[in-house]
Amino acid sequence: MGARRWLTPVAALGALAVLGTAPGLVSPFILQFIINLFMLAVLAESWNIIGGFTGYASFGNVAFFGIGAYTMGILMTKAGLPLWAALPAAGLVPMVFAAVVGLPILRLKGHYFAIATLGVAETMREIVYNVEITGAGTGLVMPIARTPALFFYLMLATLVAVTLVNVWLSRSRFGYGLVAIREDEDAAAAMGIDTARYKTIAFAISAAFAGLTGGVFAYWITFIDPDAVFRVIVTIQMIIMAVFGGAGTVVGPLLGALVLASLSEVLSTQLVALAELFNGLIVILVVLFMPKGLLEVLRAGRGSFRAMARNLREYRV
Amino acid sequence: MLLLQVLINGLLLGGLYGIMALGMSLIWGVMNIVNVAHGALIMLGAYLAFWMFHLWGLDPFLSLPLTIAALFVYGYCLQRWVLNLVVRAQLFLTLLITFGVEVVMINVARLLWSSDLRQVTPAYAAANFEIGQLTIPWVRLWVFATTLVLSVVFLVVLEHTRLGRAIRATSEELRAARLTGIPVAHIYAVTFGLGAALAGAAGGLWGMLFPITPMMGGSLTLKSFVVAVLGGLGTMMGAIVGGLALGLTESFAGTYLGPTYPNAISFGLLVLILIFRPTGILGRRT
Amino acid sequence: MAILTARNVTKKFGGLAAVSDVTFDLHDGEILGLIGPNGSGKTTLVNVVTGALPASAGEVRFDGHALTGLPSHEIGRLGVSRTFQVVKPFRNLTVVQNVMVGALFGAVGGARDLKTARRQAEEILAFVALDHRGDAPADGLNVPERKRMELARALAMRPRVLLLDEVMAGLNPAEIDAAVDLIKRIRDRGVTLLVIEHVMKAIRNLSDRILVLFHGQTLTEGAPADVLNDSRVVAAYLGRRYAEAARA
Repeated sequence: MGARRWLTPVAALGALAVLGTAPGLVSPFILQFIINLFMLAVLAESWNIIGGFTGYASFGNVAFFGIGAYTMGILMTKAGLPLWAALPAAGLVPMVFAAVVGLPILRLKGHYFAIATLGVAETMREIVYNVEITGAGTGLVMPIARTPALFFYLMLATLVAVTLVNVWLSRSRFGYGLVAIREDEDAAAAMGIDTARYKTIAFAISAAFAGLTGGVFAYWITFIDPDAVFRVIVTIQMIIMAVFGGAGTVVGPLLGALVLASLSEVLSTQLVALAELFNGLIVILVVLFMPKGLLEVLRAGRGSFRAMARNLREYRV
Repeated sequence: MLLLQVLINGLLLGGLYGIMALGMSLIWGVMNIVNVAHGALIMLGAYLAFWMFHLWGLDPFLSLPLTIAALFVYGYCLQRWVLNLVVRAQLFLTLLITFGVEVVMINVARLLWSSDLRQVTPAYAAANFEIGQLTIPWVRLWVFATTLVLSVVFLVVLEHTRLGRAIRATSEELRAARLTGIPVAHIYAVTFGLGAALAGAAGGLWGMLFPITPMMGGSLTLKSFVVAVLGGLGTMMGAIVGGLALGLTESFAGTYLGPTYPNAISFGLLVLILIFRPTGILGRRT
Repeated sequence: MAILTARNVTKKFGGLAAVSDVTFDLHDGEILGLIGPNGSGKTTLVNVVTGALPASAGEVRFDGHALTGLPSHEIGRLGVSRTFQVVKPFRNLTVVQNVMVGALFGAVGGARDLKTARRQAEEILAFVALDHRGDAPADGLNVPERKRMELARALAMRPRVLLLDEVMAGLNPAEIDAAVDLIKRIRDRGVTLLVIEHVMKAIRNLSDRILVLFHGQTLTEGAPADVLNDSRVVAAYLGRRYAEAARA
């Protein structure tokens, strides 16, 4: 019994150690793919906090990604700050923004919340487009960094951090509170959970990680403009990866990111349109046939077809 | 008089926004589906009008009925065989699936028709009609007139035909509608078809005024949403009123603040409305 | 000694007063029955007391604190819990996990870690005789089990006052007897109860006193025997009384 408890952490550490050697071993092309994969995984795991655990499906988390990217950009180019000073800000600024915007927006339910978050993301893009300090439509050029390995380790570290947060949520009082809010917000409030505070904290943490990712991304691709960092497809990707793997679980979003990003890469090396098309089709198929995610399907095993049929019967008209 | 010109421009544009929102409001009101693919439907309508003009020389006003019919069929099939499967699932899932549909439609359009800008330019495109110091392009005037006609026809159908009654009954109480023999799956599909038809009409008209690209849909979905919420969800008149309101806002913002501001204003307006008055101008407080 | 007092509580929806000028005391350790025909404002009153709805007028006090104006989660933290007329289970959690939420939150001083919460939840489930279903998914329970889980969840919050809203709706006579017994044992644990019920036999059996609401106003209040024989109460319920009499 005692030995089994240590199996997962040890295995995880082992996997991390192996991963850590990757920059020296794999080709630059594969390294780039892995960094992108890590980025999507962080986004999916961070969305999971507000969308999966708390049940508030935000359709605008790319706003935080973009704000993080631009914070990094502005601090490094206009204020001349080094990486280690700018990066924490890339996490902090979106976090504060989310807490402030969350105050009115988290009071909305269902469709209204989802569209409001979408509106926030679009508004942010348009504002950045119009404002001088962000370079407006022409964008910002970042200082060049020599080593891709740096981004590999930064993204990996962020991924580990956000996964640990998810683990903590899955076994803490705070996490139980979030799940209760998702399941029945009125009952949760009647049971003593300060729903407004909990939702805001979850939203802010989710935003912080999206922002950190955005910051690393900005430094990595060395040039950002509004259309590069405020893309709606990014929101779709993070949501569908979390849902496909299993929203509300720890491992689900990671699994989703791994499978979907790999498939997308395999199927479409050339055209951006094909990759996006693939994403769109996956979304439709997942919602129709496995809305509870891959983990649920795997768990149901042979019963999964019956579960799928049951879902359809419940949801269809 | 610049002020009057801005006002007129805003109203003319507002009619178009009203039609767009009407389609979205209908689908949302009846089936509680927020159709994120609405903009893509508008885009499809625009492309249909463009290709009929470009390949066959069909005047866009004359080809409008064809566009409307095509989009109706498309919408009907989409709802009947895809969306009906998940219409009673959690809101988040229906939202997600229409998002998926939008992504698919936009990217298929990109692959088929490339991202080059298109525009429908019939012979009368540049002709203007002048009153004093006001300049009103004929096209805009006719577009506005068409949107008024379509709105009236739509409202008449909804209020005074058996089909309209069936739709309204289904939206109020699904189970009761079923029990009285209304074929709900079919009615839902017809409703979506009507919404898509309105979107298609909006697209066909839009193409005469603005450039057409596969990407045009994204901001139009949000604008339809803004208008639907602004006017008051569930009220069809609200969509029209909201459309005029947004048209005016954008016209003033574009003229007095700068050409890149209208979008920021629309989306900002959306967020503000959702926060302060989610029931909109004409909506009822629940 | 009154631990919860309501004075002139009024709740209006637009022009309609669902609850109008209701005043009552809840005494420490008692079971107060709350009855009245459908639509008389019983659930609305509970909603106002527990903060689910803001009062239009009047005041509710508990243990020295004013409850009116507080958000419902703070009222829960003070030690006032309730069950919902239409149960609200956390469907994607198991039964024991549902109860654990109550143990983790609820009145100040609850479990802060999952292990303790689980232990407390299991104890409560044993108390309501639902421990054999602890690991079952919450949406897989039958009607009496669902009611008992709702009750267990509220109990896990360590309440001093518990408001029950028609917990016996949908139960057969044997299940009703078991429920009455359970509620009495809850009182024996030191919880003060306000019980909304339509099942007259149960209410007569359970209550120390009964409060009757009719059209949102207090009709009468007193010992069960007096209230249930009061001609005005019979008139308000006309028909139901005879159905109950035939069954009892």
